[in-house]
Amino acid sequence: MEIKYIGKTLLIEDSGERVLVIGDLHLGYEEAMRTNGILVPSGIYEEIVREIELVFDYLEKKRKKVDKVVLLGDVRHEFGRILKSEWKEVLDFLDYLKEKIGKKGEIVVVKGNHDTMTVNIVKKKNIEIVDYYIWGGLAFLHGDKDFDVVYDKDIKYWVMGHAHPAVVLQDKKSVKKEKYKCFLVGKFKRKEIIVVPSFFPIVEGSDVTGLNGNELGLAWDFKLGSFEVKIVEGEESLETLDFGRLNKF
Amino acid sequence: MAREITFMEEPHAAAEVRKILHPLVAEWFFRKFDDFSLTQLYGVKTISDRKNILISAPTGGTKTLTAFLGIINYVVGLALKNELEEKIYAVYVSPLKALSNDIFVNLEAPLSEIYDLAKERGLEMQNIRVGVRTGDTTVSERAKHARKVPHIYVTTPESLAIVLTTTKFVENLSALEFIIVDEIHAMANKRGVYMSLTLERLCELSLIEPVRIGLSATIAPLEDIARFLVGEGRDCLIARVKLMKKIDIGLISPAKDLIEADSIQSQKELYKILDGLIQDHKTTLIFTNTRAATEKIIHYLDLHFPGKYNELIGAHHSSMSKENRFEIENKLRKGELKVVVTSTSLELGIDIGNVDLVILLRSPKGVARALQRIGRAGHKLHSNPKGRFIVTDRDDLIECGVMMKGMIENKIDRVDIPKNALDVLAQQIYGMAISKIWRAEDMLKMIRKSYCYADLSEEDFFAVVSYLAGDYALEHRHVYAKIWYDATSGEIGKRGKTARIIYMTNIGTIPEEGFISVVISAPVEKRGQIIGKIDEAFLEKMKRGDVFVLGGHKYQFIRSQGMKAYVIADVSKSPTIPSWFSEMLPLSYDVAIEIAKFRRLVKEKIENKKKTLDFIKEYLYCGDIEADQMYDYLSEQAKFSEIPTDKELIVEKFKSDKEYLLFHSMYGRRVNDALSRAYGFAAARLKHRDIEVGINDNGFYLAGEKLDENKILDWVKAKDLELILKEAIETTDVLRRRFRHCASRSLMILRTYKGRSKTVGKQQMHSHFLLAAVRKISNEFPILQEARREVFEDVMDIHRAKGILKDIENGKIKVKKVRTPLVSPFGLNLILQSHADLIRMEEKLQFLRRMHKLQMGIIESKEGNGKE
Repeated sequence: MEIKYIGKTLLIEDSGERVLVIGDLHLGYEEAMRTNGILVPSGIYEEIVREIELVFDYLEKKRKKVDKVVLLGDVRHEFGRILKSEWKEVLDFLDYLKEKIGKKGEIVVVKGNHDTMTVNIVKKKNIEIVDYYIWGGLAFLHGDKDFDVVYDKDIKYWVMGHAHPAVVLQDKKSVKKEKYKCFLVGKFKRKEIIVVPSFFPIVEGSDVTGLNGNELGLAWDFKLGSFEVKIVEGEESLETLDFGRLNKF
Repeated sequence: MAREITFMEEPHAAAEVRKILHPLVAEWFFRKFDDFSLTQLYGVKTISDRKNILISAPTGGTKTLTAFLGIINYVVGLALKNELEEKIYAVYVSPLKALSNDIFVNLEAPLSEIYDLAKERGLEMQNIRVGVRTGDTTVSERAKHARKVPHIYVTTPESLAIVLTTTKFVENLSALEFIIVDEIHAMANKRGVYMSLTLERLCELSLIEPVRIGLSATIAPLEDIARFLVGEGRDCLIARVKLMKKIDIGLISPAKDLIEADSIQSQKELYKILDGLIQDHKTTLIFTNTRAATEKIIHYLDLHFPGKYNELIGAHHSSMSKENRFEIENKLRKGELKVVVTSTSLELGIDIGNVDLVILLRSPKGVARALQRIGRAGHKLHSNPKGRFIVTDRDDLIECGVMMKGMIENKIDRVDIPKNALDVLAQQIYGMAISKIWRAEDMLKMIRKSYCYADLSEEDFFAVVSYLAGDYALEHRHVYAKIWYDATSGEIGKRGKTARIIYMTNIGTIPEEGFISVVISAPVEKRGQIIGKIDEAFLEKMKRGDVFVLGGHKYQFIRSQGMKAYVIADVSKSPTIPSWFSEMLPLSYDVAIEIAKFRRLVKEKIENKKKTLDFIKEYLYCGDIEADQMYDYLSEQAKFSEIPTDKELIVEKFKSDKEYLLFHSMYGRRVNDALSRAYGFAAARLKHRDIEVGINDNGFYLAGEKLDENKILDWVKAKDLELILKEAIETTDVLRRRFRHCASRSLMILRTYKGRSKTVGKQQMHSHFLLAAVRKISNEFPILQEARREVFEDVMDIHRAKGILKDIENGKIKVKKVRTPLVSPFGLNLILQSHADLIRMEEKLQFLRRMHKLQMGIIESKEGNGKE
């Protein structure tokens, strides 16, 4: 099995199959803001598609066909009723993915804490929404809830979203400060843990420095200090950079 | 359009003024007062003659009663003839919310006394009603106003704007005769801009043109304030009332040697001087500029004089609760306190009673402000205000000296009123659209009558209309359009049933400042404890590892999240960031130029010590000790480097950990802010690296690995300044924060929506997102443009900065480059206390890659060590 970090996504290859993992999307975020009295101009959905397109272009160049796409939950943003733009954007996005992975491809949607009614949308495309998804030795989770099955000894990896991990880098001498999305990779109860950054553009996420799992809203109190940080370069680049352990920052 | 702004040369004669008073009003007046005050001689008849007037008089005058007397006289006359109509005759607007005391003394009491007198004389008189509406007015009181129309309506700018959208109430204003704007000197800001449009709306809906009366403390330039009051195309008289008051003022330096000003000995000396002054007077008011200093002074007075001031001392600053402040004000008025220490919050408004001495600890940064503060002593009509400057270092000494000269010679620094603010405009257009359907051209015509929008471009106007009409949201127009605009008919109207509620609950121009809770994250036993609050601006200055002081203890900053800052407690390192920085008042340009001129006059004769000392004493009206100290300071600079003046800009270069270029640009903070960023940007661009810049009122520095002063100086040209700065501020915190304020003012972020209020933290989070989203849509989005304008013109002073660059280009200002072995005497405060920021040149991605290399280097060397 091989795990590749491609921008904000993961590509996992095992026994001839390839799975593309995408973190929290929060589609419909703008409309949710507008209903709260914040006048955001539109454009995030287009940005999301543009960014995922970069990933597919890259994979195509490498001649790597994706068989499955796993969405790690929080596909949509609003907790309650489904907003108009959520209907449209979620359906459009699923259509887009379908087109990219072809007829034989499969889309798996893991249920996030924001996905109270997402099932109603995805079932239009005959897609199920699941609490967790087990594939080979991997368990895909949203991250807010724990499940007994994931402790099975055949499962070596937990891959999750939910935490929107990011780190702030600072220049020691000057006052420069920048925030970057990152993956967190570490161990917990002899499982390999990968926390995937949100795919949602514009906002980087929460600075995880000095925090543990629970403080990030995760169901397990990971000692994140010992986790490796992989920073997503972002912009047009699909590279990630290893920054060593979080507690070495 | 013709308009005339004229200074009144003479007051009216008392007999003339008396003649216009109704016999009953005259009888009341002279029962109560011996004679007209000078202010009344200027104002009462002018108002009676229905001429617009701006009255400028030092605090302690009788301005408010002057404004009301002519109006009272008029309505009493009507009431006695039973001709009083059901309408509002006069609107009184004041920026102060707590004005009930003032209104009682100057309006309600006179009216009821006249009413009683009429009864005494057996005269029938209709009841004259006064209605007060501020943000605190209850619903039932408001309902009362709607039922029984007040004849004189007392309100704040915000409440006035709200009633203008109430169709029923507006009818009462359709024949308005007078508008009084009190404390207009405190409105040279967006709140005033907002009010100026509200006044135009008021005039637009009144069938007669109301007389405008402005009341102001000492301020300059009065011509501009007059135009601001009356708007375009209207005449105005200005009464500059020079009361017979003599200012008793002095300059005190607490230590023989101010270099040691921070030593224990001189601190002791400072408190001894304070105690002496306090004991020699009945009630003393001390201005300290900052909250932190206010607390510190109280703490140390107690430390040096245990028990002496327990119940007799009080603090007053803006982060105290309203109740606590009110209590202090009350005690002050009753004479129960010996001394009150305040930051800036007691500068304005409310009568504070019998203060007989004002101490200005550290420079108040402007002559008008100094006068305002000292005017708080001897608020009573016939007592002379008395004030003392106490200085804390040698820059402060010269600054206060020059300011004292300005006060004595009546040279007031000028204020700038913001022009063409698009966020305020958006809020007002929305309000106008709620009142009725407008033709766009009529609306623009009316807006341009305001002094603040006289040259508003059609383009900007329609950009704001487009924003409000939802054009920038593209397919989501229906979701948030606030108004509709029909290009064919040229008409504008409101959209949505809840428009009025949204408007009423989100109106206003004063940004909500966020306070960040400081939470301990280490040591473990204290984890989670909240130790206090700091303001947002202060947080923005901090980087990981910085040590700061809060409530007397030191903390090390680790990280922030949302509205929380996480810190390590019990640190022993020295503070790396002064906790007062974000509250600093900027030195005014005019005072700065006077300081630079003073330096030149001293420089010309510095070779001759006696001549120089005599000159200083005479020129600045100061004593021997102070003159000596100034001479020493200036001659040290002359020996070490060179004295910068208004005609010579000295640029020093020296090396310590990095290379430093230090510009002795004595132009005040706002100009320095603009210049430093432009030169900093040049330095960064030339080397493709971030450059550190530090500024204060007296100059700025650039620091980097290698700086080429010739190239940097040549790179910045006056004509490019705007372009350079636009790029230089794009990623700064200050633009981000101002954008949040502008987004809130222009109702992009509704503070209150569907009955729910957003915390500042939420607003901040949203604004961050909003800014990024707006930039993706259009970099010229009107509200983003406004945030830039605010940074350029209100935070910085781009126009004067441009003037300085032009003067450098045409040789009026000579730039002299000097190499020094280390920082010069004049530069010391700048290096030690300035506000450091960064001109970002390195892209986010480049920075990441550089940091990555660095991080890898650290990891490898650690691993290497481990192996050995």
